[in-house]
Amino acid sequence: MKPPPFDYFAADSIEAAVQALADAGGDGKIIAGGQSLMPMLNFRLLRPSVLIDINRIPDLAYVRDDGECIRIGPLTRHRTLETSSLVAEQLPVLHEAMGYVAHLAIRNRGTIGGSLSHADPAAELPMMSLLLDARLEIQSLSGRRTIDARDFFLGALTTDLDEGEMLVEVRLTKLRKGTGWAFEEVARRSGDFALASVGITLSHDDGKISNVRIGLMGVGETPMRATDAESLLAGQPFSETVVTAAVDSIRRTVEPNTDLHASSDYRRHLVGVLAEQALSKAWQRATQAAHD
Amino acid sequence: MTDASLKAVDERQDGVAEELATRPKIIGARVKRTEDPRLLTGKGAYVDDRKVAGMLHVAFRRSDHSHALIKSIDVSAARQAAGVVAVLTAEDMSEINAVFATSRMRDYHTTPITALASKKVRYVGEPIVGVVAKSRYLAEDALELIEVEFEPLPVVIDPETACLPSAAVLHDDAGTNVLCFREFKTGDADAAIASAPIRVSGRFRFYRKTPVAMENRTYLAEYEVGRDELTLYTSSQVPGIIRDALSDALDMPGSQLRVIAPDVGGGFGGKASLYPEEIFVAVAARRLGCAVKWTSDRMEDLAATSQGFDQIVNAELALDANGNAVALKADVIGDVGAYSIYPWTAVIEPVQVVSFLPGPYKIANYLGRVRGVATSKPPTGPYRGVGRPTSTFVTERLMDMAAQRLGMDPVALRLRNMIQPDEFPHRIGSGIIWDQCAFTECLNAACDKVDYPTLRARQAQARAAGRWFGIGVACYAELTGIGSRISVAPGMPINTGTETAKITIDSTGAVTAAFGVTAMGQGLETTLAQVVAEHLGGRVKDIRVIQGDSAAVPNATGSYASRSAVLAGGAATLAAKEVKDKIIRAASHLLETGPEDLVVEDGKVSVVGTDRALTFRQLARAVYLEMRRIPADKREELASTKTYDPVFGTSATAAHLAVVEINPDTLEIKLERFVVAEDCGRLINPMIVDGQVHGGVAQGIGAALYEEVVYNDEGQNVTASLVDYIIPTATEIPPIEVVHIEAASLTTLGGFRGMGEGGTIGAPAAVANAVADAVAPLGIDILELPVSPERLFRLIENSKQHKDATHGHET
Ligand SMILES: Cc1cc2nc3c(=O)[nH]c(=O)nc-3n(C[C@H](O)[C@H](O)[C@H](O)COP(=O)(O)OP(=O)(O)OC[C@H]3O[C@@H](n4cnc5c(N)ncnc54)[C@H](O)[C@@H]3O)c2cc1C
Repeated sequence: MKPPPFDYFAADSIEAAVQALADAGGDGKIIAGGQSLMPMLNFRLLRPSVLIDINRIPDLAYVRDDGECIRIGPLTRHRTLETSSLVAEQLPVLHEAMGYVAHLAIRNRGTIGGSLSHADPAAELPMMSLLLDARLEIQSLSGRRTIDARDFFLGALTTDLDEGEMLVEVRLTKLRKGTGWAFEEVARRSGDFALASVGITLSHDDGKISNVRIGLMGVGETPMRATDAESLLAGQPFSETVVTAAVDSIRRTVEPNTDLHASSDYRRHLVGVLAEQALSKAWQRATQAAHD
Repeated sequence: MTDASLKAVDERQDGVAEELATRPKIIGARVKRTEDPRLLTGKGAYVDDRKVAGMLHVAFRRSDHSHALIKSIDVSAARQAAGVVAVLTAEDMSEINAVFATSRMRDYHTTPITALASKKVRYVGEPIVGVVAKSRYLAEDALELIEVEFEPLPVVIDPETACLPSAAVLHDDAGTNVLCFREFKTGDADAAIASAPIRVSGRFRFYRKTPVAMENRTYLAEYEVGRDELTLYTSSQVPGIIRDALSDALDMPGSQLRVIAPDVGGGFGGKASLYPEEIFVAVAARRLGCAVKWTSDRMEDLAATSQGFDQIVNAELALDANGNAVALKADVIGDVGAYSIYPWTAVIEPVQVVSFLPGPYKIANYLGRVRGVATSKPPTGPYRGVGRPTSTFVTERLMDMAAQRLGMDPVALRLRNMIQPDEFPHRIGSGIIWDQCAFTECLNAACDKVDYPTLRARQAQARAAGRWFGIGVACYAELTGIGSRISVAPGMPINTGTETAKITIDSTGAVTAAFGVTAMGQGLETTLAQVVAEHLGGRVKDIRVIQGDSAAVPNATGSYASRSAVLAGGAATLAAKEVKDKIIRAASHLLETGPEDLVVEDGKVSVVGTDRALTFRQLARAVYLEMRRIPADKREELASTKTYDPVFGTSATAAHLAVVEINPDTLEIKLERFVVAEDCGRLINPMIVDGQVHGGVAQGIGAALYEEVVYNDEGQNVTASLVDYIIPTATEIPPIEVVHIEAASLTTLGGFRGMGEGGTIGAPAAVANAVADAVAPLGIDILELPVSPERLFRLIENSKQHKDATHGHET
C-alpha cells in the first residue's frame, strides 16, 4: 500500500496550480486534504505523474457572507464549516450535516473542494450543494466558468471538472428567513458514509408547504433532488396523505445500489423512512418560525 | 431464581469475604499499568520502530487467484528494477524445510507451510514472490514487473460443497478437503430427541471474522554474518514456538536463533501462529547477510492474517415438558481455509466448537460431529475465545428458543439446567470436565445487577408502546490455564502446559523476572510484577519483567488460551518464594538474626520490631561484591528458576447480559446496556481484568453486529479494507459493567483462573439473544451472526412474505 512514483509540486497561487495541471497534460492531480486521494494512491488505483499541492496557496480557505449567498473557499476544512457561526446561522441544515462527515481527524483535513471534486454519491457536501443551489466557480488556463451544482455531478466519482480545471469557490444560497429544514442520515457506524440520507428545506406559507427542496444521497450514482416528490408537496397543506405520497414517490424514483453494507431494497426502505422523518421535522421548524 | 441457588451465592460470597480479609496486599490491588506511560505516549518499541543500518524491505507478490496452478513466474524485469536487491521465489528457497502442523488425532490431514507458494496457490493473498529492496516503495514498484502465469482451478468457497466427493481438492496429498473429522458421544442423543416433547433446532451460521490487531504483523530478521546468528524480531504472541519452528525450517540450532517479540500491539490469536512471511525474512536475511524487514499493510493483514469462526452448526436441543434438557445434537462444519495452521492445526476452531457445545448445562445425551473443511480462503486460526464464541452462540440461542417454546423465562430455564454449585466436578457430554465453575452465581449476579424482574417489566411496557426492546443472556465456561495433560488445541502434540519464571536479584539489587509469555497489550508487565512483588517482598515498580524473548527461559511458548496469569503467575510464585528464602538466609547472616525474626517487604528485609534493615541493594552488594561479608560456603546467588505446570488447568466462567433497542423504522440496533458477571478466580489486578473484559466484549459486539470477512464466488475478498470490514469504534460500544465473582481456583497455584478471552465468548451470544428477544413478536429467529440491519431487514421482509403467503401464520 505505497503509492506509485509521482512528482510533487507545491503551488503558491491558483494560476500556478492550473498551469501545472495544464503542463501535466491530463496526468496531474490536485491534492487538498488528501483524505480521498491518498487511499486511492496507496491502493495504486490512480497514477498521476504529478501531485499539485494547493495547501500553501494563500486565501483559499474562507467562509464569507456575501448578501444572498455564502462564499466558501475550496480549501475550507470540513471542521471549519462544522464550527462556523455564519454557517450555523445562515445554513443550519449544512451545520447539522457536517457533523455526519467522517470522523474528527478526517474533518480536520478534508476540504469542501476535495469533497465536491471527489463526488462520492454518499458524501454530505455534494448533496448539500444540490440542496442549497450551489454555484461552483471553476478555473483553468483558459479562464473561469461557473456551473450549477445540479449540472456538476455526472456519476459516481465523476464530475463535470475537466482535467485542467480547479474548483476555486463554492457559493451556497442562504436559507430564507423562516425556512424549516432537516437532515437525516443512517450509516453503519457514526462517521461512516451514509447508507441513505435526506436533507430538506421548506417554508410554511399560510398553512401550505412551499419552496420545498429535497436532497437525497446514498441511493443513486449521484446525490439528487427528489423533484417529483417536491412537486407533489408544493402548495399542499401538510398531511399524512401528502407525506405518504411524497415518500412513495421517492421510493419509486430512486435506484440504489446493492453493496456490502446494504441492499438496494433496504436503502430504498431507509430513504423513505428518513424522508418521512425529515419532512415532519422540517415542517415543524417552518411552522414554529411562521408563528414566531 | 431458586432458593438453593441464592443460598449458594450467599455462601460463595461469604467465602470470598473471608478470603478478602486475609488476602495478600499487592495481588488484588488496582495497580496502574506500569507499561502504559510508555505505550500511551508513543514511546513503545514495536518491531516496525526498530531501524538497523542497511536494513532492506520486503514486498510480496501475492496470488490474485483463489485456486490455481502456477505455470510460470518471470522475475527478470523485477530483478533489474531500481533499488531491488533480491527477488526470491519458492524455487530459490528449496533448501528450506516445509513446516507441518501435526496432530495425534485420527482422520487428520496436515498441509505444508512454506514461505512462498510453489506450483499452486490456494487463496487470494498467498505470497508467491518476495522482493527485497532498499525501500518498501521500490519493492512495491518492482512487484508490478513480475509476471505470473496461472492456470485457474475450480474455486472452493462454500464449505458444504467442499465436503462433496465432486469438489476440487486443495491438497492432493490429503486427497480430501475434509482435514479433520471428530465425533463426541455420550448416551443416545437420537433416541432421547425422538421421545422428547420439546425440541428446538436451527441451522446456525457464524460468519468469518478477522482479528484486526491495531499493529499489523511485522517481522525484522537481523543477521550476524560472523557468527551465523539470526535474531527475528516479530510481532508474535508465540516467539518461542516460532524459534523452534524456524530451527526446523532452517536447520539451525536454537543457540544461533533468537526470536524476540518486543512491544506487540494486539494479537487476539492472529499473531499466535507461524507465518510464511516470518520464514521468508529469516531466510532472506541469512541469504543476503543483512537485516530484512517486512511490515504488513492493512490490506495484507485483511488478506493473509489467520481468520476466525466461519462455522455452520446444525443443532437440536431436546427438553422434557418441565424444561429439563435431555439431549443435544450438533453437526458442525468449520471452514478452515487453505492450510492447517502451525502449530495449532486446522482442528483448533471447529473441534473446540463441538467440545464446548454442552456448555454449563447438564445434558445427559450428547452427539457432536465436526468436520474441518479446507477452502480456498486464508487459513483460520485461533481467535480470541477459540470455538467457544460459536458454541456459546448456538447453545445459548437454543436455550432461548426452548424458553420461548415452553413459555418460560430464559433465566429460569438456564438456572434449572445449569450444573449446580454442589455438582462439581462435572463431566459434560464432550468429555470436558468442569472443575468448579460459578455458573449459577454468575448468572444470578448479572441478573441482580440489572434488577432483572424490573428490566423485564420495563420491556413489557416498551413492547406495549411498540418499541423493539430485547434482553439477552449468555453463560459459558472456558478451560483456562491448561497444564501439560491437556492439549490446548485438540490433538496437538506440543506441550504448552508448563511455564518458567527466572527471577534474579543482581549486584545492584535490581529484580529481574523473566518469563516465556508474551504481552500483546494485556498488561502482563504489571500483573506478573504484582505476583513477584507479593511473594518476594519487593515493590512493583522495581521489578523488571522480561518476556517475549526465546532466550529468556529455555522453553518459552508465549501467550494464548488464557494461560499467562495462571501459568506464569504460578511459576512467578514458586521462583519468588525461593528467592525470598535466599534473601532471608543471607540477611539472617548479615544481620545476625534468626530467620523467623525477619520480614521482607517493600524491597527491604528488616528485623521485626527494630529499625535494623537492609535494602535489596545493600543486601545484594553484601552478597555479591563486598568481600568476606558472607562466608564462601554460605553465599548463594539470589536467583531462582522455577517451572510450573497446573497439570490439568482450570476454568473461568461468566454470564453476559445485553439490553438492546432496535429502531423499528431504520432497523438500527443500539446496545443500551451490557453487564458481565465473571469469575476468573483470584484477581491479580481488578482494573486489568475490567480492561480485558471491556476489550473482549467490544470484540464480541463486533462479531455480533459488524464484522464479517466476505469472499465472493471467485474467492476474492471483498472486505479488504477497513471501510468494508467494519469494526466497532468507541461510539458503538455501550458502557460495560463488570461484576467479579472471585471464586479462587482450588486447582491452581494462587487461585488464578485466566480470563483473557472470555469477553469475546459471551458477548456475541448475549447480543444475538437480545436482538432475537427484541424481534420475537415478529416471529423471527436469529440464526446468523453478524446480524446487521441489512440481515434484519431481509429476515423481516421474508417473514412478511411468508405470512402473506400463509395468511396469518402462527407466531
Ligand atoms: C475513513 C473515511 C471516512 C469518510 N467518511 C466520509 C463521510 O462520511 N462523508 C463524506 O462526505 N466524506 C467522507 N470521507 C471523505 C472526506 O470527507 C474527504 O475529505 C473528501 O472526500 C475529500 O476531501 P479532501 O480535501 O481530502 O480531497 P483530496 O483527497 O485531497 O482530493 C480528492 C479529489 O478531489 C480533487 N480535488 C481536491 N481539491 C480540488 C479542487 N479544489 N479542484 C479540483 N479538484 C480537487 C483531487 O484531485 C482528488 O481527485 C471519508 C474519508 C475517510 C478516509
